[in-house]
Amino acid sequence: MSVAPAILVQDVWFAYEREPALEGASFTVAEGSFTALIGPNGAGKSTLLRLLLGLLRPDRGRVEVFGGPTGDRSQPIGYVPQRVHLPAGFPLTTAEVALMGCYGRLGLLRRPGPGDRARTAEALAQVGMAEHAGRRFSDLSGGQQQRVLIARALAGEPRLLLLDEPTAGLDPAARARFYALVCDLQPGQGLTVLCASHDLEIVSEHVDTLVLLDRAVRAEGPPRDVLASPALAHTYAFPTPHAHDSP
Amino acid sequence: MSDFLAYGFNQRALLTGALLGLTCAVLSFFVVLRRMAFIGVGISHAALGGIALGVVLGVSPVLAATAFSIVVAWMIGWIGGRGQVSEDTAIGVFFPTAMAFGVALISRSDTYRQDLVGYLFGNILSVRTADVWVVAALAGVSLVILALFFKEFLFLGVDEEAARAAGLPAEALRYTLLTVLAVTIVAAMKLVGSVLVSAFLVIPAATGQAVARSSRGMLAVAVASALVSVAGGLWLSWLWNLPSGASIVLLSAALFFVALLAGRLRGR
Repeated sequence: MSVAPAILVQDVWFAYEREPALEGASFTVAEGSFTALIGPNGAGKSTLLRLLLGLLRPDRGRVEVFGGPTGDRSQPIGYVPQRVHLPAGFPLTTAEVALMGCYGRLGLLRRPGPGDRARTAEALAQVGMAEHAGRRFSDLSGGQQQRVLIARALAGEPRLLLLDEPTAGLDPAARARFYALVCDLQPGQGLTVLCASHDLEIVSEHVDTLVLLDRAVRAEGPPRDVLASPALAHTYAFPTPHAHDSP
Repeated sequence: MSDFLAYGFNQRALLTGALLGLTCAVLSFFVVLRRMAFIGVGISHAALGGIALGVVLGVSPVLAATAFSIVVAWMIGWIGGRGQVSEDTAIGVFFPTAMAFGVALISRSDTYRQDLVGYLFGNILSVRTADVWVVAALAGVSLVILALFFKEFLFLGVDEEAARAAGLPAEALRYTLLTVLAVTIVAAMKLVGSVLVSAFLVIPAATGQAVARSSRGMLAVAVASALVSVAGGLWLSWLWNLPSGASIVLLSAALFFVALLAGRLRGR
Protein backbone atom coordinates (compact mmCIF):
# COMPACT_ATOMS: atom_id res chain seq x y z
CA MET A 1 0.00 0.00 0.00
CA SER A 2 1.49 3.37 -1.03
CA VAL A 3 1.78 6.12 1.55
CA ALA A 4 0.20 9.47 0.60
CA PRO A 5 2.76 12.23 0.20
CA ALA A 6 2.78 15.03 2.75
CA ILE A 7 1.93 17.45 -0.07
CA LEU A 8 0.25 16.74 -3.37
CA VAL A 9 -0.07 19.50 -5.95
CA GLN A 10 -1.60 18.22 -9.17
CA ASP A 11 -2.20 20.34 -12.27
CA VAL A 12 -2.98 23.44 -10.21
CA TRP A 13 -4.10 26.61 -11.93
CA PHE A 14 -4.70 29.89 -10.15
CA ALA A 15 -5.11 33.50 -11.27
CA TYR A 16 -5.57 36.80 -9.42
CA GLU A 17 -8.32 38.56 -11.36
CA ARG A 18 -6.96 37.97 -14.87
CA GLU A 19 -3.30 37.71 -13.88
CA PRO A 20 -2.18 34.06 -13.93
CA ALA A 21 -0.03 32.98 -10.97
CA LEU A 22 0.06 29.21 -11.48
CA GLU A 23 -0.43 27.34 -14.75
CA GLY A 24 -0.66 23.61 -14.28
CA ALA A 25 1.83 23.23 -11.41
CA SER A 26 2.37 19.64 -10.23
CA PHE A 27 4.73 18.17 -7.64
CA THR A 28 4.76 16.12 -4.45
CA VAL A 29 6.63 16.46 -1.17
CA ALA A 30 7.53 13.29 0.71
CA GLU A 31 6.72 13.08 4.40
CA GLY A 32 9.69 14.01 6.59
CA SER A 33 11.57 15.72 3.79
CA PHE A 34 12.97 19.25 3.55
CA THR A 35 12.02 20.76 0.21
CA ALA A 36 12.80 24.22 -1.13
CA LEU A 37 10.53 25.95 -3.59
CA ILE A 38 12.69 28.21 -5.71
CA GLY A 39 11.88 30.55 -8.55
CA PRO A 40 12.06 34.19 -9.59
CA ASN A 41 9.76 36.93 -8.31
CA GLY A 42 6.22 36.36 -9.55
CA ALA A 43 6.84 32.62 -10.05
CA GLY A 44 3.88 31.73 -7.81
CA LYS A 45 5.77 30.52 -4.73
CA SER A 46 3.77 32.51 -2.17
CA THR A 47 0.53 31.72 -4.01
CA LEU A 48 1.31 28.03 -3.75
CA LEU A 49 1.95 28.33 -0.01
CA ARG A 50 -1.38 30.16 0.42
CA LEU A 51 -3.12 27.36 -1.45
CA LEU A 52 -1.51 24.83 0.89
CA LEU A 53 -2.57 26.88 3.92
CA GLY A 54 -6.14 26.88 2.64
CA LEU A 55 -6.17 30.68 2.31
CA LEU A 56 -6.80 30.40 -1.44
CA ARG A 57 -8.66 27.83 -3.53
CA PRO A 58 -7.25 26.64 -6.87
CA ASP A 59 -9.17 27.53 -10.02
CA ARG A 60 -8.37 24.02 -11.26
CA GLY A 61 -6.45 21.02 -10.00
CA ARG A 62 -5.86 19.25 -6.67
CA VAL A 63 -4.04 20.41 -3.57
CA GLU A 64 -3.81 17.95 -0.69
CA VAL A 65 -1.98 17.90 2.62
CA PHE A 66 -1.37 14.48 4.20
CA GLY A 67 -3.97 13.00 1.86
CA GLY A 68 -6.71 15.40 2.91
CA PRO A 69 -8.09 18.73 1.74
CA THR A 70 -6.32 21.97 2.65
CA GLY A 71 -7.76 23.97 5.53
CA ASP A 72 -8.30 20.77 7.58
CA ARG A 73 -7.54 21.99 11.10
CA SER A 74 -6.96 18.46 12.38
CA GLN A 75 -3.65 18.63 10.48
CA PRO A 76 -2.08 21.79 11.92
CA ILE A 77 0.38 23.52 9.63
CA GLY A 78 3.12 25.71 11.01
CA TYR A 79 3.57 28.89 9.01
CA VAL A 80 6.54 31.23 9.07
CA PRO A 81 6.07 34.45 7.05
CA GLN A 82 8.78 36.73 5.69
CA ARG A 83 8.45 39.16 8.58
CA VAL A 84 6.02 40.35 11.24
CA HIS A 85 5.76 44.13 11.39
CA LEU A 86 4.59 45.45 14.76
CA PRO A 87 4.01 49.18 15.28
CA ALA A 88 7.27 50.81 16.40
CA GLY A 89 7.88 50.21 20.09
CA PHE A 90 4.80 48.03 20.65
CA PRO A 91 5.59 46.14 23.86
CA LEU A 92 4.69 42.60 22.85
CA THR A 93 7.14 40.13 24.35
CA THR A 94 8.86 37.28 22.54
CA ALA A 95 6.92 34.78 24.67
CA GLU A 96 3.60 36.47 23.80
CA VAL A 97 4.35 36.26 20.07
CA ALA A 98 5.43 32.60 20.30
CA LEU A 99 2.34 31.68 22.34
CA MET A 100 0.15 32.69 19.39
CA GLY A 101 1.18 29.44 17.74
CA CYS A 102 -1.21 27.66 20.13
CA TYR A 103 -4.20 29.85 19.27
CA GLY A 104 -5.27 27.91 16.17
CA ARG A 105 -5.28 24.62 18.10
CA LEU A 106 -7.20 26.22 20.99
CA GLY A 107 -9.89 27.65 18.71
CA LEU A 108 -12.20 30.51 19.59
CA LEU A 109 -12.77 31.62 23.19
CA ARG A 110 -10.44 29.08 24.88
CA ARG A 111 -7.49 30.67 26.63
CA PRO A 112 -3.98 29.22 26.67
CA GLY A 113 -3.24 27.20 29.79
CA PRO A 114 -0.07 26.07 31.59
CA GLY A 115 0.43 23.26 29.05
CA ASP A 116 0.40 25.73 26.16
CA ARG A 117 2.84 28.01 27.94
CA ALA A 118 5.16 25.06 28.68
CA ARG A 119 4.99 23.97 25.04
CA THR A 120 5.80 27.53 23.93
CA ALA A 121 8.74 27.76 26.36
CA GLU A 122 10.02 24.46 24.99
CA ALA A 123 9.69 25.73 21.40
CA LEU A 124 11.61 28.90 22.28
CA ALA A 125 14.33 26.75 23.86
CA GLN A 126 14.51 24.60 20.71
CA VAL A 127 15.28 27.66 18.58
CA GLY A 128 17.71 29.07 21.15
CA MET A 129 15.49 31.98 22.19
CA ALA A 130 14.45 30.93 25.71
CA GLU A 131 16.60 33.58 27.36
CA HIS A 132 14.88 36.27 25.27
CA ALA A 133 11.32 35.25 26.26
CA GLY A 134 10.73 38.43 28.27
CA ARG A 135 12.28 40.81 25.74
CA ARG A 136 10.21 42.92 23.40
CA PHE A 137 9.84 41.20 20.04
CA SER A 138 10.46 44.46 18.19
CA ASP A 139 13.86 44.84 19.95
CA LEU A 140 15.18 41.56 18.48
CA SER A 141 17.33 41.38 15.36
CA GLY A 142 15.77 40.13 12.11
CA GLY A 143 17.37 36.69 12.53
CA GLN A 144 16.16 36.41 16.14
CA GLN A 145 12.63 37.43 15.13
CA GLN A 146 12.59 34.67 12.49
CA ARG A 147 13.67 32.15 15.14
CA VAL A 148 10.77 33.29 17.33
CA LEU A 149 8.39 32.85 14.39
CA ILE A 150 9.67 29.27 13.99
CA ALA A 151 9.03 28.75 17.71
CA ARG A 152 5.52 30.15 17.20
CA ALA A 153 4.96 27.65 14.40
CA LEU A 154 6.34 24.76 16.51
CA ALA A 155 4.12 25.71 19.46
CA GLY A 156 1.16 24.61 17.33
CA GLU A 157 2.69 21.10 17.13
CA PRO A 158 2.54 20.90 13.33
CA ARG A 159 3.52 17.98 11.09
CA LEU A 160 4.13 20.36 8.19
CA LEU A 161 6.11 23.59 8.31
CA LEU A 162 5.67 26.14 5.51
CA LEU A 163 8.19 28.96 5.30
CA ASP A 164 7.63 31.90 2.95
CA GLU A 165 11.01 33.42 2.12
CA PRO A 166 11.89 33.47 5.83
CA THR A 167 15.41 34.81 5.34
CA ALA A 168 14.51 37.87 3.26
CA GLY A 169 16.49 40.82 4.59
CA LEU A 170 18.97 38.70 6.59
CA ASP A 171 22.70 38.70 5.92
CA PRO A 172 24.27 35.53 4.40
CA ALA A 173 25.61 34.26 7.75
CA ALA A 174 22.20 34.66 9.40
CA ARG A 175 20.57 32.90 6.44
CA ALA A 176 22.91 29.94 6.75
CA ARG A 177 22.28 29.74 10.52
CA PHE A 178 18.54 29.87 9.91
CA TYR A 179 18.49 26.95 7.48
CA ALA A 180 20.86 24.96 9.69
CA LEU A 181 18.43 25.47 12.58
CA VAL A 182 15.49 24.19 10.52
CA CYS A 183 17.59 21.14 9.54
CA ASP A 184 18.45 20.46 13.18
CA LEU A 185 14.82 20.73 14.28
CA GLN A 186 13.40 18.54 11.56
CA PRO A 187 14.27 14.97 12.64
CA GLY A 188 13.31 15.44 16.29
CA GLN A 189 9.97 16.98 15.38
CA GLY A 190 9.18 14.55 12.55
CA LEU A 191 8.54 17.59 10.43
CA THR A 192 7.99 17.92 6.72
CA VAL A 193 9.32 21.29 5.62
CA LEU A 194 8.52 23.27 2.47
CA CYS A 195 10.39 26.54 2.16
CA ALA A 196 9.92 29.17 -0.54
CA SER A 197 13.30 30.78 -1.02
CA HIS A 198 15.51 32.95 -3.20
CA ASP A 199 18.69 31.63 -1.55
CA LEU A 200 19.57 29.09 -4.24
CA GLU A 201 23.04 28.31 -3.02
CA ILE A 202 22.53 28.43 0.75
CA VAL A 203 19.23 26.55 0.79
CA SER A 204 20.60 23.90 -1.59
CA GLU A 205 23.13 22.88 1.04
CA HIS A 206 20.38 21.93 3.47
CA VAL A 207 17.40 20.55 1.55
CA ASP A 208 16.64 17.09 0.16
CA THR A 209 14.73 18.36 -2.86
CA LEU A 210 14.50 21.51 -4.95
CA VAL A 211 11.33 22.40 -6.85
CA LEU A 212 11.92 25.06 -9.49
CA LEU A 213 8.69 26.97 -10.04
CA ASP A 214 7.88 29.52 -12.69
CA ARG A 215 4.07 29.38 -12.74
CA ALA A 216 4.54 25.67 -13.53
CA VAL A 217 7.18 23.29 -12.17
CA ARG A 218 10.23 23.56 -14.46
CA ALA A 219 12.50 21.14 -12.62
CA GLU A 220 12.31 18.94 -9.52
CA GLY A 221 14.80 16.68 -7.77
CA PRO A 222 17.98 16.62 -5.70
CA PRO A 223 19.64 20.06 -5.46
CA ARG A 224 22.67 19.05 -7.53
CA ASP A 225 20.47 17.96 -10.46
CA VAL A 226 18.20 21.01 -10.38
CA LEU A 227 21.09 23.46 -10.07
CA ALA A 228 22.71 21.92 -13.14
CA SER A 229 19.53 21.74 -15.19
CA PRO A 230 19.02 23.90 -18.29
CA ALA A 231 15.61 24.81 -16.86
CA LEU A 232 17.28 26.79 -14.07
CA ALA A 233 19.37 28.79 -16.52
CA HIS A 234 16.32 29.37 -18.69
CA THR A 235 14.10 30.40 -15.79
CA TYR A 236 16.58 32.85 -14.34
CA ALA A 237 17.99 33.78 -17.78
CA PHE A 238 21.52 32.77 -16.71
CA PRO A 239 24.20 32.77 -19.38
CA THR A 240 25.32 29.29 -18.24
CA PRO A 241 23.48 26.64 -16.22
CA HIS A 242 25.41 27.09 -12.97
CA ALA A 243 24.12 28.37 -9.68
CA HIS A 244 27.25 30.49 -9.24
CA ASP A 245 26.06 32.69 -12.09
CA SER A 246 22.97 33.68 -10.19
CA PRO A 247 21.68 37.19 -11.00
CA MET B 1 -13.68 67.42 45.80
CA SER B 2 -16.67 66.71 48.09
CA ASP B 3 -18.44 69.72 46.54
CA PHE B 4 -17.78 68.27 43.13
CA LEU B 5 -19.29 64.91 44.05
CA ALA B 6 -22.29 66.46 45.79
CA TYR B 7 -23.94 67.20 42.47
CA GLY B 8 -25.89 64.50 40.66
CA PHE B 9 -24.75 65.62 37.22
CA ASN B 10 -21.12 65.30 38.29
CA GLN B 11 -21.74 61.80 39.67
CA ARG B 12 -23.41 60.72 36.45
CA ALA B 13 -20.64 62.29 34.38
CA LEU B 14 -17.99 60.50 36.44
CA LEU B 15 -19.71 57.13 36.17
CA THR B 16 -20.39 57.45 32.45
CA GLY B 17 -16.90 58.76 31.82
CA ALA B 18 -15.30 55.91 33.76
CA LEU B 19 -17.26 53.31 31.79
CA LEU B 20 -16.39 54.87 28.46
CA GLY B 21 -12.80 55.55 29.50
CA LEU B 22 -12.37 51.88 30.41
CA THR B 23 -13.89 50.69 27.13
CA CYS B 24 -11.97 53.18 24.98
CA ALA B 25 -8.70 52.30 26.75
CA VAL B 26 -9.05 48.59 26.01
CA LEU B 27 -10.14 49.36 22.46
CA SER B 28 -7.24 51.79 22.02
CA PHE B 29 -4.85 48.86 22.56
CA PHE B 30 -6.13 47.31 19.33
CA VAL B 31 -6.50 50.65 17.54
CA VAL B 32 -2.77 51.27 18.07
CA LEU B 33 -1.76 47.66 17.33
CA ARG B 34 -3.74 47.58 14.08
CA ARG B 35 -2.78 51.15 13.13
CA MET B 36 -6.47 52.12 13.07
CA ALA B 37 -6.13 55.62 14.54
CA PHE B 38 -7.45 57.24 11.39
CA ILE B 39 -10.48 54.94 11.31
CA GLY B 40 -11.53 56.30 14.71
CA VAL B 41 -11.44 59.82 13.29
CA GLY B 42 -13.34 58.68 10.22
CA ILE B 43 -16.14 56.88 12.07
CA SER B 44 -16.57 59.60 14.69
CA HIS B 45 -17.04 62.25 12.02
CA ALA B 46 -19.16 60.02 9.83
CA ALA B 47 -21.48 59.51 12.82
CA LEU B 48 -22.62 63.09 12.35
CA GLY B 49 -24.26 61.96 9.12
CA GLY B 50 -26.18 59.38 11.15
CA ILE B 51 -27.30 61.98 13.68
CA ALA B 52 -28.57 64.19 10.88
CA LEU B 53 -30.35 61.23 9.31
CA GLY B 54 -32.03 60.48 12.64
CA VAL B 55 -33.26 64.06 12.87
CA VAL B 56 -34.68 64.02 9.35
CA LEU B 57 -36.30 60.60 9.78
CA GLY B 58 -37.65 61.47 13.22
CA VAL B 59 -35.88 58.61 15.04
CA SER B 60 -33.40 58.72 17.92
CA PRO B 61 -30.24 60.49 16.67
CA VAL B 62 -28.07 58.20 18.80
CA LEU B 63 -29.66 55.04 17.39
CA ALA B 64 -29.43 56.40 13.86
CA ALA B 65 -25.78 57.37 14.44
CA THR B 66 -25.02 53.89 15.80
CA ALA B 67 -26.54 52.14 12.78
CA PHE B 68 -25.00 54.64 10.36
CA SER B 69 -21.53 54.33 11.94
CA ILE B 70 -21.64 50.54 11.86
CA VAL B 71 -22.55 50.62 8.15
CA VAL B 72 -19.77 53.14 7.43
CA ALA B 73 -17.24 51.08 9.46
CA TRP B 74 -18.20 47.90 7.58
CA MET B 75 -17.99 49.66 4.22
CA ILE B 76 -14.54 51.01 5.10
CA GLY B 77 -13.52 47.48 6.15
CA TRP B 78 -15.03 45.90 3.06
CA ILE B 79 -13.53 48.30 0.54
CA GLY B 80 -10.17 48.34 2.35
CA GLY B 81 -10.18 44.52 2.61
CA ARG B 82 -10.71 44.05 -1.14
CA GLY B 83 -7.37 45.68 -1.82
CA GLN B 84 -8.54 47.95 -4.66
CA VAL B 85 -7.81 50.95 -2.46
CA SER B 86 -6.10 51.03 0.94
CA GLU B 87 -8.13 51.25 4.15
CA ASP B 88 -6.71 54.75 4.71
CA THR B 89 -7.99 55.84 1.32
CA ALA B 90 -11.41 54.29 2.00
CA ILE B 91 -11.58 56.25 5.28
CA GLY B 92 -10.51 59.38 3.43
CA VAL B 93 -13.47 58.92 1.09
CA PHE B 94 -16.12 58.05 3.70
CA PHE B 95 -15.09 60.56 6.38
CA PRO B 96 -15.83 63.77 4.41
CA THR B 97 -18.66 62.20 2.41
CA ALA B 98 -20.64 61.12 5.47
CA MET B 99 -19.91 64.39 7.23
CA ALA B 100 -20.96 66.42 4.20
CA PHE B 101 -24.12 64.31 4.04
CA GLY B 102 -24.81 65.22 7.66
CA VAL B 103 -24.12 68.91 7.13
CA ALA B 104 -26.39 68.97 4.06
CA LEU B 105 -29.23 67.30 5.99
CA ILE B 106 -28.77 69.47 9.08
CA SER B 107 -28.89 72.59 6.91
CA ARG B 108 -32.53 71.70 6.25
CA SER B 109 -33.31 71.71 9.99
CA ASP B 110 -32.73 75.08 11.68
CA THR B 111 -33.70 73.87 15.13
CA TYR B 112 -31.03 71.19 15.37
CA ARG B 113 -27.84 73.15 14.79
CA GLN B 114 -27.33 73.68 18.52
CA ASP B 115 -27.44 69.93 19.19
CA LEU B 116 -25.05 69.21 16.35
CA VAL B 117 -22.46 71.41 18.04
CA GLY B 118 -23.10 69.34 21.17
CA TYR B 119 -22.21 66.16 19.30
CA LEU B 120 -19.14 67.78 17.77
CA PHE B 121 -17.66 68.79 21.12
CA GLY B 122 -19.66 66.76 23.65
CA ASN B 123 -21.07 67.69 27.02
CA ILE B 124 -20.81 64.96 29.57
CA LEU B 125 -22.38 67.16 32.25
CA SER B 126 -25.71 66.93 30.39
CA VAL B 127 -25.81 63.13 30.81
CA ARG B 128 -29.12 61.90 32.26
CA THR B 129 -29.69 58.77 34.34
CA ALA B 130 -31.16 57.00 31.30
CA ASP B 131 -27.96 57.82 29.37
CA VAL B 132 -25.89 56.21 32.12
CA TRP B 133 -27.79 52.96 31.66
CA VAL B 134 -27.44 53.08 27.87
CA VAL B 135 -23.69 53.74 28.12
CA ALA B 136 -23.31 51.02 30.78
CA ALA B 137 -25.04 48.50 28.50
CA LEU B 138 -22.98 49.49 25.43
CA ALA B 139 -19.71 49.57 27.38
CA GLY B 140 -20.55 46.25 29.03
CA VAL B 141 -21.26 44.51 25.71
CA SER B 142 -18.13 46.00 24.12
CA LEU B 143 -15.91 44.97 27.05
CA VAL B 144 -17.31 41.43 27.09
CA ILE B 145 -16.62 41.06 23.35
CA LEU B 146 -13.10 42.48 23.73
CA ALA B 147 -12.40 40.16 26.67
CA LEU B 148 -13.82 37.06 24.97
CA PHE B 149 -11.88 37.55 21.73
CA PHE B 150 -8.80 39.25 23.15
CA LYS B 151 -6.35 36.59 22.00
CA GLU B 152 -7.95 36.40 18.56
CA PHE B 153 -7.87 40.20 18.06
CA LEU B 154 -4.26 40.17 19.26
CA PHE B 155 -3.19 37.47 16.79
CA LEU B 156 -5.00 39.22 13.93
CA GLY B 157 -3.35 42.52 14.83
CA VAL B 158 0.12 40.97 14.89
CA ASP B 159 -0.05 38.67 11.85
CA GLU B 160 -3.37 38.42 10.03
CA GLU B 161 -2.18 35.87 7.49
CA ALA B 162 -0.83 33.50 10.14
CA ALA B 163 -4.05 33.93 12.15
CA ARG B 164 -6.13 33.05 9.09
CA ALA B 165 -3.85 30.09 8.37
CA ALA B 166 -4.43 28.92 11.96
CA GLY B 167 -8.16 28.83 11.23
CA LEU B 168 -9.32 31.99 12.97
CA PRO B 169 -12.34 33.58 11.23
CA ALA B 170 -10.43 36.76 10.34
CA GLU B 171 -13.20 38.47 8.40
CA ALA B 172 -15.85 37.94 11.09
CA LEU B 173 -13.46 39.10 13.79
CA ARG B 174 -12.45 42.18 11.80
CA TYR B 175 -16.08 43.23 11.35
CA THR B 176 -16.78 42.48 15.02
CA LEU B 177 -13.94 44.81 16.05
CA LEU B 178 -15.18 47.49 13.63
CA THR B 179 -18.69 47.17 15.11
CA VAL B 180 -17.40 47.51 18.68
CA LEU B 181 -15.38 50.51 17.55
CA ALA B 182 -18.38 52.16 15.90
CA VAL B 183 -20.69 51.55 18.88
CA THR B 184 -18.10 52.81 21.38
CA ILE B 185 -17.45 55.92 19.31
CA VAL B 186 -21.14 56.82 19.19
CA ALA B 187 -21.47 56.21 22.93
CA ALA B 188 -18.38 58.33 23.64
CA MET B 189 -19.55 61.22 21.45
CA LYS B 190 -21.79 62.35 24.29
CA LEU B 191 -18.75 62.45 26.53
CA VAL B 192 -16.09 64.21 24.49
CA GLY B 193 -17.77 64.82 21.12
CA SER B 194 -16.85 63.46 17.74
CA VAL B 195 -13.91 65.83 17.37
CA LEU B 196 -12.18 64.55 20.51
CA VAL B 197 -13.33 60.91 20.69
CA SER B 198 -10.63 59.79 18.29
CA ALA B 199 -8.03 61.10 20.75
CA PHE B 200 -9.60 58.94 23.45
CA LEU B 201 -9.14 55.93 21.17
CA VAL B 202 -5.41 56.49 20.75
CA ILE B 203 -3.89 58.41 23.69
CA PRO B 204 -4.48 55.83 26.47
CA ALA B 205 -2.74 53.04 24.52
CA ALA B 206 0.02 55.43 23.44
CA THR B 207 0.55 56.30 27.13
CA GLY B 208 0.76 52.61 28.02
CA GLN B 209 3.10 51.90 25.14
CA ALA B 210 5.46 54.66 26.27
CA VAL B 211 6.18 53.03 29.64
CA ALA B 212 5.19 49.34 29.51
CA ARG B 213 7.42 46.39 28.76
CA SER B 214 4.64 43.91 27.97
CA SER B 215 1.17 44.00 26.43
CA ARG B 216 -0.43 43.41 29.84
CA GLY B 217 1.49 46.34 31.28
CA MET B 218 0.48 48.50 28.34
CA LEU B 219 -3.17 47.60 28.81
CA ALA B 220 -3.03 48.27 32.57
CA VAL B 221 -1.42 51.69 32.10
CA ALA B 222 -3.87 52.53 29.29
CA VAL B 223 -6.87 51.78 31.53
CA ALA B 224 -5.39 53.62 34.53
CA SER B 225 -4.52 56.70 32.46
CA ALA B 226 -8.00 56.80 30.90
CA LEU B 227 -9.69 56.61 34.31
CA VAL B 228 -7.40 59.27 35.78
CA SER B 229 -8.03 61.47 32.72
CA VAL B 230 -11.80 61.19 33.09
CA ALA B 231 -11.88 61.81 36.86
CA GLY B 232 -9.16 64.48 36.84
CA GLY B 233 -10.46 66.16 33.67
CA LEU B 234 -13.97 66.45 35.07
CA TRP B 235 -12.67 67.82 38.35
CA LEU B 236 -10.45 70.38 36.58
CA SER B 237 -13.31 71.45 34.32
CA TRP B 238 -15.42 71.99 37.48
CA LEU B 239 -12.60 73.84 39.22
CA TRP B 240 -11.63 76.14 36.35
CA ASN B 241 -14.93 76.25 34.46
CA LEU B 242 -13.49 74.59 31.35
CA PRO B 243 -15.31 72.45 28.74
CA SER B 244 -15.33 68.91 30.20
CA GLY B 245 -14.44 67.03 26.98
CA ALA B 246 -11.48 69.29 26.29
CA SER B 247 -10.26 69.02 29.91
CA ILE B 248 -10.37 65.22 29.78
CA VAL B 249 -8.45 65.02 26.52
CA LEU B 250 -5.89 67.64 27.60
CA LEU B 251 -5.20 65.76 30.84
CA SER B 252 -4.96 62.53 28.87
CA ALA B 253 -2.41 64.16 26.56
CA ALA B 254 -0.48 65.51 29.56
CA LEU B 255 -0.28 61.98 31.01
CA PHE B 256 1.00 60.76 27.65
CA PHE B 257 3.85 63.27 27.68
CA VAL B 258 4.70 62.40 31.29
CA ALA B 259 4.75 58.70 30.33
CA LEU B 260 6.91 59.48 27.32
CA LEU B 261 9.39 61.28 29.55
CA ALA B 262 9.29 58.53 32.19
CA GLY B 263 9.84 55.89 29.53
CA ARG B 264 12.80 57.79 28.13
CA LEU B 265 14.35 58.30 31.58
CA ARG B 266 14.23 54.60 32.40
CA GLY B 267 15.54 53.64 28.97
CA ARG B 268 12.33 51.99 27.80
